[in-house]
Amino acid sequence: MRASFQYLGRGSWLAARDPRVTLLAAVAFVVGAIQLRDARQLLVALILALLYYALAGIPFRRVRFQWIYLTITIVLIAGINTIITGGRAGGFATADLHVLFRLPLLQAPITAEAISLSASQTLRFLAFVAVSLPVAYAMAPGDFAVAMRRLGLPDRAAFTLDLTIRFLPTLVNEFAETIDAQRVRGWDPLAHGGGPVTRIRRIAPIFVPVIIGSIAGAEDTIDAMDLRGFGVGRRTWLRELRFRPMDWLLLGLFLAFLVLATYLNLSGNSRHYLLPFLVGG
Amino acid sequence: MTTTTMGESEGTWSVSTRVIVYAAIGAALYAAAGYFSFFAQIPGTEGVYLRPAYGILTFFGFAFGPVVGFVTGLVGNALADTLTGSGPVTSWWWSVANGLAGLLAGVFGARWISGGSSSLRAVVSVTAAVLATAIGFLFIWIELVIQPELGAQTILWAEYVPTVVSNGVFAAILTPILVLAWDPVSEQLGR
Repeated sequence: MRASFQYLGRGSWLAARDPRVTLLAAVAFVVGAIQLRDARQLLVALILALLYYALAGIPFRRVRFQWIYLTITIVLIAGINTIITGGRAGGFATADLHVLFRLPLLQAPITAEAISLSASQTLRFLAFVAVSLPVAYAMAPGDFAVAMRRLGLPDRAAFTLDLTIRFLPTLVNEFAETIDAQRVRGWDPLAHGGGPVTRIRRIAPIFVPVIIGSIAGAEDTIDAMDLRGFGVGRRTWLRELRFRPMDWLLLGLFLAFLVLATYLNLSGNSRHYLLPFLVGG
Repeated sequence: MTTTTMGESEGTWSVSTRVIVYAAIGAALYAAAGYFSFFAQIPGTEGVYLRPAYGILTFFGFAFGPVVGFVTGLVGNALADTLTGSGPVTSWWWSVANGLAGLLAGVFGARWISGGSSSLRAVVSVTAAVLATAIGFLFIWIELVIQPELGAQTILWAEYVPTVVSNGVFAAILTPILVLAWDPVSEQLGR
Protein backbone atom coordinates (compact mmCIF):
# COMPACT_ATOMS: atom_id res chain seq x y z
CA MET A 1 0.00 0.00 0.00
CA ARG A 2 1.62 3.25 -1.10
CA ALA A 3 0.14 6.28 0.58
CA SER A 4 3.02 8.54 1.41
CA PHE A 5 3.94 11.73 -0.40
CA GLN A 6 5.23 11.22 -3.90
CA TYR A 7 7.82 13.71 -5.08
CA LEU A 8 6.92 13.23 -8.74
CA GLY A 9 8.20 16.61 -9.89
CA ARG A 10 11.72 16.02 -8.60
CA GLY A 11 14.28 17.70 -10.83
CA SER A 12 11.77 19.94 -12.60
CA TRP A 13 12.09 23.70 -13.01
CA LEU A 14 9.39 24.28 -10.42
CA ALA A 15 10.92 21.85 -7.93
CA ALA A 16 14.10 23.93 -8.06
CA ARG A 17 12.19 27.01 -6.89
CA ASP A 18 12.04 28.11 -3.30
CA PRO A 19 9.16 26.10 -1.73
CA ARG A 20 7.68 29.32 -0.34
CA VAL A 21 7.02 30.41 -3.92
CA THR A 22 5.09 27.22 -4.68
CA LEU A 23 2.90 27.76 -1.62
CA LEU A 24 2.39 31.49 -2.15
CA ALA A 25 1.69 31.01 -5.86
CA ALA A 26 -1.11 28.55 -5.07
CA VAL A 27 -2.63 30.86 -2.47
CA ALA A 28 -2.39 33.95 -4.69
CA PHE A 29 -3.93 32.08 -7.61
CA VAL A 30 -6.81 30.65 -5.58
CA VAL A 31 -7.62 34.04 -4.03
CA GLY A 32 -7.48 35.62 -7.49
CA ALA A 33 -9.55 32.97 -9.28
CA ILE A 34 -12.22 33.11 -6.56
CA GLN A 35 -12.89 36.69 -7.64
CA LEU A 36 -13.38 35.86 -11.32
CA ARG A 37 -16.89 35.04 -12.61
CA ASP A 38 -16.60 35.46 -16.38
CA ALA A 39 -16.04 32.09 -18.10
CA ARG A 40 -13.74 33.70 -20.69
CA GLN A 41 -11.48 35.10 -17.98
CA LEU A 42 -11.58 31.80 -16.12
CA LEU A 43 -10.57 30.01 -19.32
CA VAL A 44 -7.50 32.26 -19.53
CA ALA A 45 -6.82 31.57 -15.84
CA LEU A 46 -7.06 27.82 -16.48
CA ILE A 47 -4.61 28.04 -19.40
CA LEU A 48 -2.16 29.97 -17.21
CA ALA A 49 -2.61 27.42 -14.43
CA LEU A 50 -1.94 24.55 -16.83
CA LEU A 51 1.22 26.27 -18.11
CA TYR A 52 2.36 26.62 -14.51
CA TYR A 53 1.45 22.97 -13.89
CA ALA A 54 3.62 21.95 -16.86
CA LEU A 55 6.61 23.57 -15.15
CA ALA A 56 6.26 21.00 -12.35
CA GLY A 57 7.24 18.19 -14.73
CA ILE A 58 4.81 15.72 -13.15
CA PRO A 59 4.66 12.61 -15.39
CA PHE A 60 1.09 12.39 -16.69
CA ARG A 61 0.96 8.61 -16.49
CA ARG A 62 1.52 8.86 -12.73
CA VAL A 63 -1.39 11.25 -12.17
CA ARG A 64 -3.66 10.20 -15.01
CA PHE A 65 -6.11 8.57 -12.61
CA GLN A 66 -6.28 11.72 -10.43
CA TRP A 67 -6.98 13.96 -13.42
CA ILE A 68 -9.70 11.68 -14.78
CA TYR A 69 -11.27 11.23 -11.36
CA LEU A 70 -11.16 14.94 -10.51
CA THR A 71 -12.48 16.02 -13.89
CA ILE A 72 -15.41 13.60 -13.67
CA THR A 73 -16.13 14.74 -10.10
CA ILE A 74 -16.00 18.43 -11.01
CA VAL A 75 -18.24 17.96 -14.06
CA LEU A 76 -20.69 15.92 -11.97
CA ILE A 77 -20.76 18.59 -9.27
CA ALA A 78 -21.39 21.28 -11.87
CA GLY A 79 -24.07 19.09 -13.48
CA ILE A 80 -25.92 18.56 -10.20
CA ASN A 81 -25.74 22.27 -9.56
CA THR A 82 -27.20 22.91 -13.00
CA ILE A 83 -30.22 20.80 -12.13
CA ILE A 84 -30.71 22.22 -8.64
CA THR A 85 -30.33 25.92 -9.41
CA GLY A 86 -31.78 25.87 -12.92
CA GLY A 87 -29.55 28.88 -13.60
CA ARG A 88 -30.97 31.09 -10.86
CA ALA A 89 -27.69 31.81 -9.06
CA GLY A 90 -24.79 34.22 -9.15
CA GLY A 91 -25.08 36.89 -11.81
CA PHE A 92 -28.24 35.32 -13.28
CA ALA A 93 -30.25 35.27 -10.04
CA THR A 94 -32.78 37.76 -11.41
CA ALA A 95 -32.26 37.26 -15.15
CA ASP A 96 -34.84 35.98 -17.65
CA LEU A 97 -33.84 32.36 -18.20
CA HIS A 98 -33.43 30.69 -21.60
CA VAL A 99 -34.81 27.16 -21.25
CA LEU A 100 -33.03 24.85 -23.70
CA PHE A 101 -34.80 21.59 -22.79
CA ARG A 102 -36.20 19.66 -19.87
CA LEU A 103 -34.79 16.51 -18.34
CA PRO A 104 -36.95 13.52 -19.32
CA LEU A 105 -37.92 12.18 -15.89
CA LEU A 106 -37.33 15.06 -13.49
CA GLN A 107 -38.76 17.68 -15.87
CA ALA A 108 -36.09 20.01 -14.49
CA PRO A 109 -35.37 22.86 -16.93
CA ILE A 110 -31.85 23.03 -18.33
CA THR A 111 -31.16 26.65 -19.10
CA ALA A 112 -28.43 28.48 -20.98
CA GLU A 113 -27.71 30.38 -17.77
CA ALA A 114 -27.26 27.17 -15.77
CA ILE A 115 -24.83 25.74 -18.33
CA SER A 116 -22.91 29.03 -18.39
CA LEU A 117 -22.65 28.95 -14.60
CA SER A 118 -21.47 25.34 -14.76
CA ALA A 119 -18.80 26.34 -17.26
CA SER A 120 -17.46 29.01 -14.87
CA GLN A 121 -17.55 26.60 -11.95
CA THR A 122 -15.79 23.81 -13.87
CA LEU A 123 -13.08 26.08 -15.25
CA ARG A 124 -12.34 27.58 -11.83
CA PHE A 125 -12.12 24.21 -10.11
CA LEU A 126 -9.88 22.72 -12.77
CA ALA A 127 -7.60 25.76 -12.40
CA PHE A 128 -7.52 25.19 -8.62
CA VAL A 129 -6.45 21.60 -9.24
CA ALA A 130 -3.72 22.66 -11.68
CA VAL A 131 -2.07 24.99 -9.15
CA SER A 132 -2.69 22.69 -6.20
CA LEU A 133 -1.10 19.53 -7.59
CA PRO A 134 2.42 21.07 -7.77
CA VAL A 135 2.15 21.74 -4.01
CA ALA A 136 1.51 18.04 -3.52
CA TYR A 137 3.94 16.64 -6.08
CA ALA A 138 6.65 19.22 -6.85
CA MET A 139 7.66 20.19 -3.33
CA ALA A 140 10.02 18.03 -1.29
CA PRO A 141 7.91 16.71 1.63
CA GLY A 142 10.61 17.81 4.03
CA ASP A 143 10.31 21.41 2.83
CA PHE A 144 6.70 21.98 3.91
CA ALA A 145 7.44 22.81 7.53
CA VAL A 146 10.51 24.97 6.97
CA ALA A 147 8.69 26.87 4.21
CA MET A 148 5.74 27.52 6.50
CA ARG A 149 8.11 28.63 9.28
CA ARG A 150 9.87 31.06 6.97
CA LEU A 151 6.49 32.38 5.90
CA GLY A 152 5.83 33.41 9.48
CA LEU A 153 4.17 30.37 11.07
CA PRO A 154 5.28 30.01 14.72
CA ASP A 155 7.97 27.41 15.46
CA ARG A 156 5.62 25.10 17.33
CA ALA A 157 3.04 25.12 14.54
CA ALA A 158 5.70 24.49 11.89
CA PHE A 159 7.16 21.67 13.95
CA THR A 160 3.68 20.14 14.34
CA LEU A 161 3.39 20.08 10.56
CA ASP A 162 6.85 18.56 10.25
CA LEU A 163 6.00 15.88 12.80
CA THR A 164 2.71 15.08 11.04
CA ILE A 165 4.49 14.50 7.75
CA ARG A 166 7.03 12.26 9.49
CA PHE A 167 4.33 10.24 11.28
CA LEU A 168 2.18 9.72 8.20
CA PRO A 169 4.04 6.89 6.42
CA THR A 170 4.48 5.00 9.70
CA LEU A 171 0.80 5.21 10.55
CA VAL A 172 -0.27 4.26 7.04
CA ASN A 173 1.90 1.15 7.38
CA GLU A 174 0.37 0.39 10.78
CA PHE A 175 -3.12 0.61 9.29
CA ALA A 176 -2.09 -1.67 6.42
CA GLU A 177 -0.46 -4.20 8.76
CA THR A 178 -3.46 -4.23 11.10
CA ILE A 179 -5.84 -4.74 8.19
CA ASP A 180 -3.68 -7.65 6.97
CA ALA A 181 -3.53 -9.11 10.47
CA GLN A 182 -7.32 -9.01 10.83
CA ARG A 183 -7.74 -10.55 7.39
CA VAL A 184 -5.48 -13.42 8.41
CA ARG A 185 -7.92 -13.98 11.28
CA GLY A 186 -10.79 -14.14 8.78
CA TRP A 187 -12.08 -10.59 9.36
CA ASP A 188 -12.30 -8.35 6.32
CA PRO A 189 -12.71 -4.78 7.52
CA LEU A 190 -12.94 -3.33 4.02
CA ALA A 191 -15.57 -5.78 2.77
CA HIS A 192 -18.47 -4.32 0.83
CA GLY A 193 -22.09 -4.61 1.87
CA GLY A 194 -24.06 -3.46 4.86
CA GLY A 195 -25.11 -0.01 5.99
CA PRO A 196 -22.93 2.68 7.57
CA VAL A 197 -23.34 1.25 11.09
CA THR A 198 -22.34 -2.24 9.97
CA ARG A 199 -19.35 -0.83 8.13
CA ILE A 200 -18.17 1.17 11.10
CA ARG A 201 -18.51 -1.85 13.37
CA ARG A 202 -16.46 -3.71 10.79
CA ILE A 203 -13.61 -1.18 10.84
CA ALA A 204 -13.60 -0.61 14.61
CA PRO A 205 -11.14 -3.52 15.14
CA ILE A 206 -8.77 -1.62 12.84
CA PHE A 207 -9.21 1.90 14.13
CA VAL A 208 -9.18 1.21 17.86
CA PRO A 209 -5.83 -0.64 18.16
CA VAL A 210 -4.00 1.64 15.72
CA ILE A 211 -5.31 4.87 17.27
CA ILE A 212 -4.95 3.92 20.91
CA GLY A 213 -1.56 2.30 20.25
CA SER A 214 -0.33 5.43 18.47
CA ILE A 215 -1.40 7.75 21.27
CA ALA A 216 0.15 5.52 23.93
CA GLY A 217 3.33 5.26 21.86
CA ALA A 218 3.50 9.04 21.57
CA GLU A 219 4.72 9.18 25.15
CA ASP A 220 8.19 8.22 23.94
CA THR A 221 8.23 11.10 21.47
CA ILE A 222 6.97 13.55 24.11
CA ASP A 223 9.62 12.41 26.60
CA ALA A 224 12.37 12.64 23.98
CA MET A 225 11.33 16.18 23.03
CA ASP A 226 11.07 17.29 26.65
CA LEU A 227 14.45 15.77 27.51
CA ARG A 228 16.03 17.71 24.66
CA GLY A 229 14.48 20.92 25.94
CA PHE A 230 11.99 21.41 23.13
CA GLY A 231 10.46 24.87 23.18
CA VAL A 232 12.76 26.47 25.75
CA GLY A 233 14.67 28.52 23.20
CA ARG A 234 14.53 29.77 19.64
CA ARG A 235 14.51 26.85 17.22
CA THR A 236 16.85 26.65 14.24
CA TRP A 237 16.19 24.71 11.03
CA LEU A 238 18.85 22.82 9.15
CA ARG A 239 17.42 23.66 5.72
CA GLU A 240 18.09 27.21 4.58
CA LEU A 241 15.85 28.88 2.03
CA ARG A 242 16.91 31.71 -0.22
CA PHE A 243 14.94 33.55 -2.90
CA ARG A 244 16.61 33.67 -6.30
CA PRO A 245 15.71 36.00 -9.22
CA MET A 246 13.49 33.36 -10.85
CA ASP A 247 11.63 32.94 -7.57
CA TRP A 248 10.90 36.65 -7.44
CA LEU A 249 9.82 36.61 -11.08
CA LEU A 250 7.39 33.72 -10.61
CA LEU A 251 5.98 35.21 -7.43
CA GLY A 252 5.62 38.57 -9.16
CA LEU A 253 3.60 37.00 -11.97
CA PHE A 254 1.19 35.37 -9.55
CA LEU A 255 0.84 38.56 -7.53
CA ALA A 256 0.13 40.43 -10.77
CA PHE A 257 -2.61 37.88 -11.52
CA LEU A 258 -4.05 38.45 -8.06
CA VAL A 259 -4.01 42.23 -8.48
CA LEU A 260 -5.61 42.00 -11.92
CA ALA A 261 -8.34 39.62 -10.74
CA THR A 262 -9.06 41.88 -7.77
CA TYR A 263 -9.29 44.90 -10.08
CA LEU A 264 -11.65 43.05 -12.45
CA ASN A 265 -13.84 42.04 -9.53
CA LEU A 266 -13.96 45.42 -7.81
CA SER A 267 -14.52 47.31 -11.05
CA GLY A 268 -17.44 45.07 -11.97
CA ASN A 269 -15.68 43.68 -15.05
CA SER A 270 -15.96 40.01 -14.10
CA ARG A 271 -19.61 39.09 -14.10
CA HIS A 272 -21.08 35.74 -15.10
CA TYR A 273 -21.02 35.44 -18.87
CA LEU A 274 -23.88 33.93 -20.83
CA LEU A 275 -22.31 31.67 -23.44
CA PRO A 276 -23.64 33.22 -26.67
CA PHE A 277 -23.81 30.04 -28.75
CA LEU A 278 -26.36 28.63 -26.31
CA VAL A 279 -28.85 31.39 -27.06
CA GLY A 280 -28.03 31.81 -30.72
CA GLY A 281 -26.10 35.01 -30.14
CA MET B 1 -10.01 11.01 38.17
CA THR B 2 -9.33 9.68 34.73
CA THR B 3 -8.31 12.20 32.16
CA THR B 4 -10.15 11.93 28.93
CA THR B 5 -9.55 15.64 28.53
CA MET B 6 -6.33 17.61 28.85
CA GLY B 7 -5.16 18.18 32.38
CA GLU B 8 -6.26 21.51 33.78
CA SER B 9 -2.70 22.44 34.67
CA GLU B 10 -1.86 22.51 30.96
CA GLY B 11 -4.78 24.80 30.14
CA THR B 12 -7.32 24.36 27.37
CA TRP B 13 -5.49 26.57 24.88
CA SER B 14 -1.84 25.98 25.84
CA VAL B 15 0.50 24.52 23.23
CA SER B 16 2.69 22.16 25.21
CA THR B 17 4.93 19.41 23.85
CA ARG B 18 2.10 16.97 24.51
CA VAL B 19 -0.36 19.06 22.50
CA ILE B 20 2.09 19.29 19.58
CA VAL B 21 2.68 15.53 19.49
CA TYR B 22 -0.99 14.61 19.93
CA ALA B 23 -1.96 17.11 17.22
CA ALA B 24 0.62 15.68 14.83
CA ILE B 25 -0.51 12.12 15.52
CA GLY B 26 -4.17 13.11 15.21
CA ALA B 27 -3.60 14.81 11.86
CA ALA B 28 -1.53 11.90 10.53
CA LEU B 29 -4.09 9.35 11.74
CA TYR B 30 -6.99 11.32 10.27
CA ALA B 31 -5.20 11.55 6.92
CA ALA B 32 -4.10 7.90 6.92
CA ALA B 33 -7.47 6.54 8.05
CA GLY B 34 -9.24 8.83 5.60
CA TYR B 35 -7.12 7.32 2.87
CA PHE B 36 -8.20 3.80 3.86
CA SER B 37 -11.82 4.45 4.62
CA PHE B 38 -13.26 6.58 1.85
CA PHE B 39 -16.33 4.48 1.26
CA ALA B 40 -18.22 6.11 -1.57
CA GLN B 41 -19.65 9.36 -2.69
CA ILE B 42 -23.19 9.94 -1.50
CA PRO B 43 -25.36 9.90 -4.64
CA GLY B 44 -26.80 13.28 -5.60
CA THR B 45 -24.40 15.31 -3.46
CA GLU B 46 -21.68 17.78 -4.39
CA GLY B 47 -18.74 15.42 -3.86
CA VAL B 48 -19.67 14.51 -0.27
CA TYR B 49 -18.06 11.22 0.77
CA LEU B 50 -18.93 8.74 3.48
CA ARG B 51 -15.86 8.92 5.67
CA PRO B 52 -15.96 6.88 8.86
CA ALA B 53 -12.52 8.17 9.83
CA TYR B 54 -14.29 11.41 10.74
CA GLY B 55 -14.82 9.96 14.24
CA ILE B 56 -11.07 10.24 14.80
CA LEU B 57 -11.29 14.02 14.46
CA THR B 58 -14.04 14.46 17.03
CA PHE B 59 -12.32 12.03 19.40
CA PHE B 60 -9.00 13.90 19.28
CA GLY B 61 -10.76 17.21 19.82
CA PHE B 62 -12.90 15.89 22.65
CA ALA B 63 -10.11 13.99 24.39
CA PHE B 64 -7.14 16.31 23.94
CA GLY B 65 -8.56 19.80 23.55
CA PRO B 66 -9.44 22.39 20.92
CA VAL B 67 -5.90 23.04 19.67
CA VAL B 68 -5.36 19.35 18.96
CA GLY B 69 -8.84 19.11 17.42
CA PHE B 70 -8.28 22.08 15.13
CA VAL B 71 -4.89 20.85 13.85
CA THR B 72 -6.21 17.32 13.42
CA GLY B 73 -9.05 18.56 11.23
CA LEU B 74 -7.24 21.26 9.28
CA VAL B 75 -3.96 19.50 8.57
CA GLY B 76 -5.42 15.98 8.51
CA ASN B 77 -8.02 16.85 5.89
CA ALA B 78 -5.51 18.77 3.76
CA LEU B 79 -3.11 15.80 3.88
CA ALA B 80 -5.91 13.35 3.09
CA ASP B 81 -6.78 15.47 0.05
CA THR B 82 -3.11 15.40 -0.93
CA LEU B 83 -2.92 11.61 -0.56
CA THR B 84 -6.08 11.06 -2.56
CA GLY B 85 -4.78 13.27 -5.34
CA SER B 86 -6.64 16.59 -5.32
CA GLY B 87 -3.97 18.60 -3.55
CA PRO B 88 -4.16 20.57 -0.31
CA VAL B 89 -5.42 23.87 -1.71
CA THR B 90 -8.18 22.80 -4.12
CA SER B 91 -10.90 22.58 -1.43
CA TRP B 92 -9.24 24.45 1.41
CA TRP B 93 -12.53 25.58 2.94
CA TRP B 94 -13.46 21.96 3.70
CA SER B 95 -10.18 21.61 5.62
CA VAL B 96 -11.01 24.73 7.64
CA ALA B 97 -14.49 23.35 8.35
CA ASN B 98 -12.96 20.10 9.58
CA GLY B 99 -10.59 22.11 11.78
CA LEU B 100 -13.44 24.09 13.28
CA ALA B 101 -15.40 20.91 14.01
CA GLY B 102 -12.38 19.48 15.85
CA LEU B 103 -11.86 22.74 17.71
CA LEU B 104 -15.49 22.85 18.85
CA ALA B 105 -15.40 19.20 19.96
CA GLY B 106 -12.44 20.23 22.12
CA VAL B 107 -14.19 23.30 23.50
CA PHE B 108 -17.28 21.26 24.40
CA GLY B 109 -15.12 18.48 25.86
CA ALA B 110 -13.18 20.92 28.01
CA ARG B 111 -16.32 22.69 29.24
CA TRP B 112 -18.58 19.74 29.85
CA ILE B 113 -16.23 17.17 31.37
CA SER B 114 -14.87 17.54 34.86
CA GLY B 115 -15.07 13.98 36.15
CA GLY B 116 -17.63 11.22 36.19
CA SER B 117 -17.52 7.71 34.80
CA SER B 118 -16.23 6.59 31.42
CA SER B 119 -19.77 5.79 30.35
CA LEU B 120 -20.92 9.31 31.13
CA ARG B 121 -18.01 10.76 29.19
CA ALA B 122 -18.83 8.49 26.26
CA VAL B 123 -22.41 9.75 26.24
CA VAL B 124 -21.30 13.37 26.50
CA SER B 125 -18.79 12.81 23.69
CA VAL B 126 -21.63 11.87 21.34
CA THR B 127 -23.43 15.14 22.00
CA ALA B 128 -20.20 17.14 21.68
CA ALA B 129 -19.23 15.40 18.44
CA VAL B 130 -22.60 15.87 16.75
CA LEU B 131 -22.95 19.48 17.85
CA ALA B 132 -19.37 20.32 16.81
CA THR B 133 -20.05 18.79 13.40
CA ALA B 134 -23.27 20.73 12.87
CA ILE B 135 -21.67 24.04 13.85
CA GLY B 136 -18.17 23.56 12.42
CA PHE B 137 -19.38 22.69 8.95
CA LEU B 138 -21.38 25.91 8.73
CA PHE B 139 -18.08 27.25 7.40
CA ILE B 140 -18.71 25.63 4.01
CA TRP B 141 -21.35 28.32 3.42
CA ILE B 142 -18.38 30.46 2.45
CA GLU B 143 -18.93 28.80 -0.93
CA LEU B 144 -21.56 31.45 -1.56
CA VAL B 145 -18.53 33.71 -2.03
CA ILE B 146 -16.00 31.22 -3.39
CA GLN B 147 -18.36 29.56 -5.86
CA PRO B 148 -21.18 32.01 -6.51
CA GLU B 149 -22.52 29.61 -9.12
CA LEU B 150 -23.77 27.45 -6.27
CA GLY B 151 -27.16 28.47 -4.97
CA ALA B 152 -28.00 28.33 -1.28
CA GLN B 153 -30.30 25.38 -2.00
CA THR B 154 -27.41 23.43 -3.53
CA ILE B 155 -25.12 24.12 -0.61
CA LEU B 156 -27.82 23.20 1.89
CA TRP B 157 -29.18 20.01 0.32
CA ALA B 158 -26.22 18.74 -1.70
CA GLU B 159 -23.41 19.60 0.72
CA TYR B 160 -24.22 20.76 4.24
CA VAL B 161 -27.03 18.36 5.17
CA PRO B 162 -25.42 15.18 3.70
CA THR B 163 -22.07 16.08 5.28
CA VAL B 164 -23.47 16.81 8.72
CA VAL B 165 -25.72 13.75 8.69
CA SER B 166 -23.07 11.28 7.49
CA ASN B 167 -20.24 12.74 9.58
CA GLY B 168 -22.57 13.08 12.56
CA VAL B 169 -23.52 9.40 12.37
CA PHE B 170 -19.89 8.30 12.07
CA ALA B 171 -18.82 10.62 14.89
CA ALA B 172 -21.67 9.48 17.13
CA ILE B 173 -20.61 5.85 16.72
CA LEU B 174 -16.82 6.02 16.67
CA THR B 175 -16.13 8.81 19.20
CA PRO B 176 -17.60 7.01 22.25
CA ILE B 177 -15.93 3.74 21.20
CA LEU B 178 -12.56 5.52 21.20
CA VAL B 179 -13.32 7.36 24.46
CA LEU B 180 -14.14 4.07 26.17
CA ALA B 181 -10.98 2.46 24.75
CA TRP B 182 -8.72 5.40 25.69
CA ASP B 183 -9.89 5.94 29.28
CA PRO B 184 -8.27 2.84 30.84
CA VAL B 185 -5.08 3.37 28.82
CA SER B 186 -4.82 6.99 29.94
CA GLU B 187 -5.25 5.86 33.55
CA GLN B 188 -2.46 3.34 33.11
CA LEU B 189 -0.23 6.03 31.67
CA GLY B 190 -1.15 8.40 34.48
CA ARG B 191 -2.57 10.99 32.08
